[in-house]
Amino acid sequence: MSKIKFKRSITLVAASSLLSLTVVSVPTVARAADPACSTANFVTTCLGATSDTAPYMMMVPANFNGTVYLYSHGYRPNVPVPAGIPGYGGYTVTNTPEPAPGGNATIIGTLLGKGYAVMGSGFARQGWNADSAVKTNVELVGLFKKQFSKTEKVVAWGSSLGGFITQALAEQYPDLIDAAAPLCMASNIEPLMTMAGDALWGIKTFFDPTIKGGNYSAGAAGYAEAMGDLVKVFTAIGALQAAFAANPTAPAWPATSKVPDALKAIPSRSALVLVALMSGVPMQSAHFDSTSAPSVLSVSQQTSFQLAINPAFAALENLANAAALAVLATHDLELQSGGAIFDNTATNYAARVAEEQFVWSSALSGASATAGMLGYLAVAPRAKADPAAVAKMRTLVTHSGEVEIPTILFTGVADPVTTAGNQQSVIDKYEEYYAEKWAEAKANKRITGDYKKPDNNLLILWNFTPEKYTKYTALGAPDTSVPAATGTNHCNFTTSQLLAIADLLAYAADNGKNMSGGALRTKLRKAGNMTLDRGYSAPALKYYGD
Amino acid sequence: MIGKTGRKRTWLVAAVLAVGSLFATSLPANAEVGVSSSTIKLGITLPLTGAASPGYNKIGNAMNAYFQYVNDNGGVYGRKITLIQKDDQYSPQLAIAKTNELILKDKVFALVGPLGTATYTAVHKSVGLARRKVPSLFINTGFSGFSDKKKYPTSFTILPSYAMEAKVVSQFLKENFAGKKLGLVYQNDEFGIDALGAFKDAGVKFDVSIPYTSGTQSAATAQTWVSQLAAGGAQVVVFFGVTSATAPLLAVAAAAKYAPQWILGSVGSDPLTLQALGVPVAVMNGALTPAGNPSPNDTSDEYIKMFQEINTKYNNASFDDYVLQGMNLGLLTVQALRAAGPRLTRRGLIKAIENKGSTFASVSYSPLGFSKTSNVGHTGYYMAVVDAKGDRKPYGGSVDLYTTDSGKGPVVKSNFKRPAMPAKGLPTNK
Repeated sequence: MSKIKFKRSITLVAASSLLSLTVVSVPTVARAADPACSTANFVTTCLGATSDTAPYMMMVPANFNGTVYLYSHGYRPNVPVPAGIPGYGGYTVTNTPEPAPGGNATIIGTLLGKGYAVMGSGFARQGWNADSAVKTNVELVGLFKKQFSKTEKVVAWGSSLGGFITQALAEQYPDLIDAAAPLCMASNIEPLMTMAGDALWGIKTFFDPTIKGGNYSAGAAGYAEAMGDLVKVFTAIGALQAAFAANPTAPAWPATSKVPDALKAIPSRSALVLVALMSGVPMQSAHFDSTSAPSVLSVSQQTSFQLAINPAFAALENLANAAALAVLATHDLELQSGGAIFDNTATNYAARVAEEQFVWSSALSGASATAGMLGYLAVAPRAKADPAAVAKMRTLVTHSGEVEIPTILFTGVADPVTTAGNQQSVIDKYEEYYAEKWAEAKANKRITGDYKKPDNNLLILWNFTPEKYTKYTALGAPDTSVPAATGTNHCNFTTSQLLAIADLLAYAADNGKNMSGGALRTKLRKAGNMTLDRGYSAPALKYYGD
Repeated sequence: MIGKTGRKRTWLVAAVLAVGSLFATSLPANAEVGVSSSTIKLGITLPLTGAASPGYNKIGNAMNAYFQYVNDNGGVYGRKITLIQKDDQYSPQLAIAKTNELILKDKVFALVGPLGTATYTAVHKSVGLARRKVPSLFINTGFSGFSDKKKYPTSFTILPSYAMEAKVVSQFLKENFAGKKLGLVYQNDEFGIDALGAFKDAGVKFDVSIPYTSGTQSAATAQTWVSQLAAGGAQVVVFFGVTSATAPLLAVAAAAKYAPQWILGSVGSDPLTLQALGVPVAVMNGALTPAGNPSPNDTSDEYIKMFQEINTKYNNASFDDYVLQGMNLGLLTVQALRAAGPRLTRRGLIKAIENKGSTFASVSYSPLGFSKTSNVGHTGYYMAVVDAKGDRKPYGGSVDLYTTDSGKGPVVKSNFKRPAMPAKGLPTNK
């Protein structure tokens, strides 16, 4: 296989993956209980802060129809990331309010044009802030109703961590929220951090054992350690990317790797694929479909590229995203919990990949190589958590999956950060809950003779990837300068899709149930790449299989 | 997933059904996906293009040819069968996408003959065949893991497993090549591992053992295999891989004048495909292989004769093991559809194979193991040898069939007599 030159660095993708900084510009305002409102172009914009000092923004059209959209933004690191850090640097902590996904002006304009109001908080604390964010949002709803007495319906939506917050609102405040749409949602923190921790530990163990990977020190020292880890992780990923490009068939291991020479006989790309599989990171990424090959290659080379090399690039691109979350969120959660939260002392990585290793056999360089890598992982030093810290983390808000209001779930099947398994875990919990409710209804029929089938409050939507989407240059090099494929990347939704979600929320709030039938299918078809498939079940987060 | 609930049947519905039954014809209306009063829609994923496609790409057309023959002779209870083929290029991720397409877009009633172990493993899990209750008939892979009926409740295998194959070969090695230096080249995934475990359990030790990663087979890699085999002095070489790997192995060995006794696994030993891949007949002459079916050239066999006639009229492909396999899958499928009855449902089809599948007519000499507790198809092999014309003949002149299981069960010489080919190749079973 010849050398491959990329048109753009893969690791740069990570820089924008977690952050939603494109928000509406907000002037400095006094943080008072009563907002400062001004009206221009028939829209009243109110800025203020809730009692926890979280800044918020409300935008209400002159023809307000009584329904307001409450948006919860995604994860923003709670510490600045210096500009010099490769792949991710240049982030400043911000609590700028976000009244719609990414501050999307088209969405805001469209909703306001239809008579809907929008609002969102920037939240008082960044990082994993679900507990405080739920309280902030509850207060914000009260403030909005006080300010705009015409308010009749409140619909909540949010992305990533904001999806988690939205789900929590739906579960805990069904009297406050009329409909909810958790998008590309994070599920409970422990499964999520298990995925992130596994990915980070795999990168550390195979490619740079000096990565600390958690159990960071207190205060400034811990911050420095975390930032140091970011540098090391992205340096290792950069080295892998360069090696893949130079020799995709047998890329070298990074100089920082300390694995035995015998293991280095296995292509480094296979180790990266193993890390992705054992942590549950998808094998399709923004630019790599794991199905295609450059047409300039011979037929046998194309097969080899399809089965062995394209998946490795996908793993590389996705792990760049997952590892960033791992470092920043681990540092944050340890600050909140008071100690190390990731523990893999009992994790059986071989069991984790028992079936998948056959599916991705070529990418893993065969069963013997896989056994060799798993054998190395089996004896490698493990991360041990502080039980008290884990116990404290477990006191943070979790999802029960039990919603009594219409709720719409939507995510990409190849989201590398909040993988589709996050959405699936909530679906699974709701199904159990629904089955119980149904059983109760049947039991009640036997006693009273009355029977009413319980409402199914969950509308489950998926954003599937195309069959083939990797683009290649005329010379056969993968082209990563093109936009990420649909269904991939973190919260990678189009404006049309988000507007469709907004419409579905409005319908659900007005009717007390989710849209269904032909109307729903027409709406999804027009939005594009929104699939209703009750038979689909996303791979569960690895945490649930341990 | 939350299933649909049965609706309370009102007197009105009952009345409508009663009236409807008065007008029932010989083509019952069906509410089942992929079934209408006049058609049954089936689907298959397999490599139609790409390096792994040689040979495999003939199976779908052959099956379709048989279905066309049945359709021209009245179909199945009056319904014509439509087969939709999708090219997965042997890629698991692509197989998932293509199977989703078959189920969600094309809305097929069932899958028939999906090919490949890695692809099927990926499809079964990601598409959720069991969860969706989609019947998956006669999957083209010998991975013994698929015989787990609890895990694969809607899937049915057809090939004897790789483990069964290795057990039969082990016995043959002990009986015929004791004391010889043994070599093994195997695909280093569940295909080869399945066989490897069985060889180990049988106590066969290889002096030279060479794993290769699927997709890496080429003349260059074959050169390294041959060098290692020759250096190790292997006198008998067992090969467990696909045809696209057998071809360079035999060609490179011949060029190097390395001529061990080859024992080629059933998957990678079709003489016609090997010839098409550039292996001269003379190189294959004398190679041994476990076989389940008669030679595709054996026109004295009633199945072969019938299938050749159908192939000539409806397919016009060179008749080889893959065409034979495709035709036979068609024959088995039609019997399964018939056994499920005129009111065709997915559940009914699965039950029909469980209850009656072991009695189906099939070209293979070994019994079918289908039952309420087993989704395992054929269960045995005989040893064959490739002659100077590139034809496969029973080793020793007669078919000595051995049956076994994928576990620790013994290898037993079988006197099983396969059912006769249905008259004119058209099943009439119920």
